[in-house]
Amino acid sequence: MTAVNKFLTATAVIALAGPLAAQEITIVREVDSNNYDPHKTTARAAAEALFMLGDTLVSLEPDMQTVTDGLAKGWEVSEDGLVYTFHLKDGVQFCNGREMTAQDVVYSMKRWIDPETNSPVSWRAGDVEDIVALDDKTVEYRLQHPFSELLYQLTQSFATVIDKDTVEELGEDFGISGFVGTGPFCWESWSPRDKMVLTRHENYAWGPAFYENKGPAHLEKITWQIVPEENTRTVAIVTGQSEATQYVPPIALNQLRNTPNISVQQSDSAFWTYFMGFKVNKETVSDEVVRQAINLAVNQEALAEDLLFGEVEPAYSYVSQAALDWNEALDDKLLRYDPEAAKSMLDEAGWVPGPDGVRAKDGVELRPTAYVFAGSSWQKLSEFVQAELLKVGIGMEIQAFDATVAWGKLATQEFDIFGMSYPYVSSGDALNLYFPSQNMPTPNRMNWDDPETDELLQAGKTALSDQDRAAAYGKVLEKVHAAAVWLPLYHEPMFIAQTDKLEPIKPHNNYGAGFYKGLDLKYKE
Amino acid sequence: MLDTLAKRLLQSIPVLIGVLVLGFLLVQLSPGDPARVFAGAMAPPEVVEQIREKMGLDRSLWTQFWGYVERVMHGDLGRSFISNKTVTSELLAAIVPTMELMIACLIWSIPLGIGMGTLAAVWRGSLVDRAVMAFSVAGVSLPIFFICLLLIQWFGVKWQLFPFIGRGGPLWTVEGLRHIALPALSLGLIFIGPVARMTRSSVLEVLRLDHVRTARSKGLNESQVILRHGLRNALIPVVTLVGLQAGYLLGGAVVTETVFSYPGIGRLSVGAILSADYPLAQGCILVLALAFIIINMIVDILYAILDPRVQKR
Repeated sequence: MTAVNKFLTATAVIALAGPLAAQEITIVREVDSNNYDPHKTTARAAAEALFMLGDTLVSLEPDMQTVTDGLAKGWEVSEDGLVYTFHLKDGVQFCNGREMTAQDVVYSMKRWIDPETNSPVSWRAGDVEDIVALDDKTVEYRLQHPFSELLYQLTQSFATVIDKDTVEELGEDFGISGFVGTGPFCWESWSPRDKMVLTRHENYAWGPAFYENKGPAHLEKITWQIVPEENTRTVAIVTGQSEATQYVPPIALNQLRNTPNISVQQSDSAFWTYFMGFKVNKETVSDEVVRQAINLAVNQEALAEDLLFGEVEPAYSYVSQAALDWNEALDDKLLRYDPEAAKSMLDEAGWVPGPDGVRAKDGVELRPTAYVFAGSSWQKLSEFVQAELLKVGIGMEIQAFDATVAWGKLATQEFDIFGMSYPYVSSGDALNLYFPSQNMPTPNRMNWDDPETDELLQAGKTALSDQDRAAAYGKVLEKVHAAAVWLPLYHEPMFIAQTDKLEPIKPHNNYGAGFYKGLDLKYKE
Repeated sequence: MLDTLAKRLLQSIPVLIGVLVLGFLLVQLSPGDPARVFAGAMAPPEVVEQIREKMGLDRSLWTQFWGYVERVMHGDLGRSFISNKTVTSELLAAIVPTMELMIACLIWSIPLGIGMGTLAAVWRGSLVDRAVMAFSVAGVSLPIFFICLLLIQWFGVKWQLFPFIGRGGPLWTVEGLRHIALPALSLGLIFIGPVARMTRSSVLEVLRLDHVRTARSKGLNESQVILRHGLRNALIPVVTLVGLQAGYLLGGAVVTETVFSYPGIGRLSVGAILSADYPLAQGCILVLALAFIIINMIVDILYAILDPRVQKR
């Protein structure tokens, strides 16, 4: 070791020593939320903090299938599926020490669906007839129509129970300058686009059953630090400036796995799917054969391997095959890579290659326009698809838009194909978002206008038994897959990179918030 | 002196008006739909419409502009679409860190740049001269993004000397200093080059002038000649350059602040523009333009101090 190195190491020890790791961690992430009012944001970044700051009536286990206790220790559903009765746990307190009662649940839910609140996610609460507190510990949630998804929706951060006094006191600034909930952590401070600091809720003792630790949390403090640059995030984990993150670029995962004292945890029950959708009434992609051929022409396996370093799962289905209500009968029918079949299908259907190799039929050239988000992943993905399609005689053109413009552009009728990715809790959640005709022009950007689909979705939504619901959604899945309305690309697993000073973290997946309530985050002893 | 100042102040008024108009138009004419961004991907169209109405985006451009000017005149820059905090408070929270970054950068890079340039001029053609010039060419030509990553690689990862995420606190605290070290170093590295080059050529020029020869013939020793008679006169073009470059530093700060996750005005501007947060973006443009104007005024005043002839002009 040279003198310089010795000096540097000595300085480093002094420089980095600081107060030795108290029971606190820094989690780095890519973007911040616009606010932390559960009813006024759809950002994943908000859900990440809200799950820690507050609780929901019911919670979701990491398998993304099982609904379990939350603020409610139990619940009953009436036979007609219209009335849900929740029995609340005893001794639940807000961070300000006030006891939480059924009134608070009623207030929170009603604020969620109140037109005044203008919540972009009020539809997730179902068609509410009324929500009433029968006594201090019992809440009755009455629906106009049965809603089989209700319990899943109530596990989302949008259904967080909040403190009425704080909401009224802070007004427009609720979720910006402060927040009071019943979660395992309490709001200390937030500086937008920089960091959010949460401190332990000392009286917390009502964590969901699947957590070993019901509370209080092991950690005293969690700092959510925004680091937009992905390389900086990666080295932050390597150098111990951050203890954990779920925002690691695929290219760095293997490097991190091979780094001493760092582990990468993975969960395949994360439901986040990347796909390209077709506007089915546009002449370039209105022919079912063309859409099927596109599905056969793209090699998802190569895409996952070459572009994403084999870190993602190639997708042939529109929702993960592990998702609730997936139709297993479709497993063998999914369209997989077969470019020769794609070519002969197009030949048979009368799409003839022109002088430049691009096919045409009845004066229509196969030159669909795809709208995608500008930025690293979509540009690469769409170019990959473009190259694959050209091999079978389809000349897809790409237009990329900045995120600020893209949402508006994607609400128009200008394009034939669009690129998108989305989180979901179940097949029903996914289908009810994208395929009902009343969701045209957005998010049903495919213009999938099919009365039978609408009926089946309604049947699934209002089903009274798990079997009926699965059957209805299964039929919709069969229908849209047969019609090749999308080109699925890949399912993104959840990765959490962490220091080995912490006990192994079990990634959760609800709304893509990997740390969920953070109750099990713990330093090794 | 006061005349110069008053004149400069008056001159900056039309500039400010121009900035106000341009800032408003640039942001308005840029594509993007803030109502859509605000509502989120899944929101139904009628919700987007309601939000558009609430934000006042459905009114005519002219009405929006008047409203904007009127509010700015009252010192009200509006509220951020995204965070709903007042733009003024967001700006204030970001200006201090950026000013600290500027100070931390200039405080070491200007003296070092001037020193390097002077040495290069005095020992013209020597190894020192070539080394200084090579260094400054590298500083000018390497993209700041790359410099930042190199600094992280060496000082952050390899030697683990300094943290490279966020701001540790005010500049006078130990944590504050440790956190600002790498951002200030990276910004300074691109700054030294031009300063050293300009100092070198300016000193070379001055050293040829008559009064320097006179000083030498008076029998003053070489360091006195260079420091008192050479450097002082050579500094005027350097000051201009520093003034201009300080403006560009704000641009460099955008990248530096992003890579080091430093919560300053650069990152705020980028965030505001990317999220179509009109009021905040306009506020950022206004502040950056003001910074340019103020820096230019300081440069003018420094001229007057360095070269008394300027006052009489």
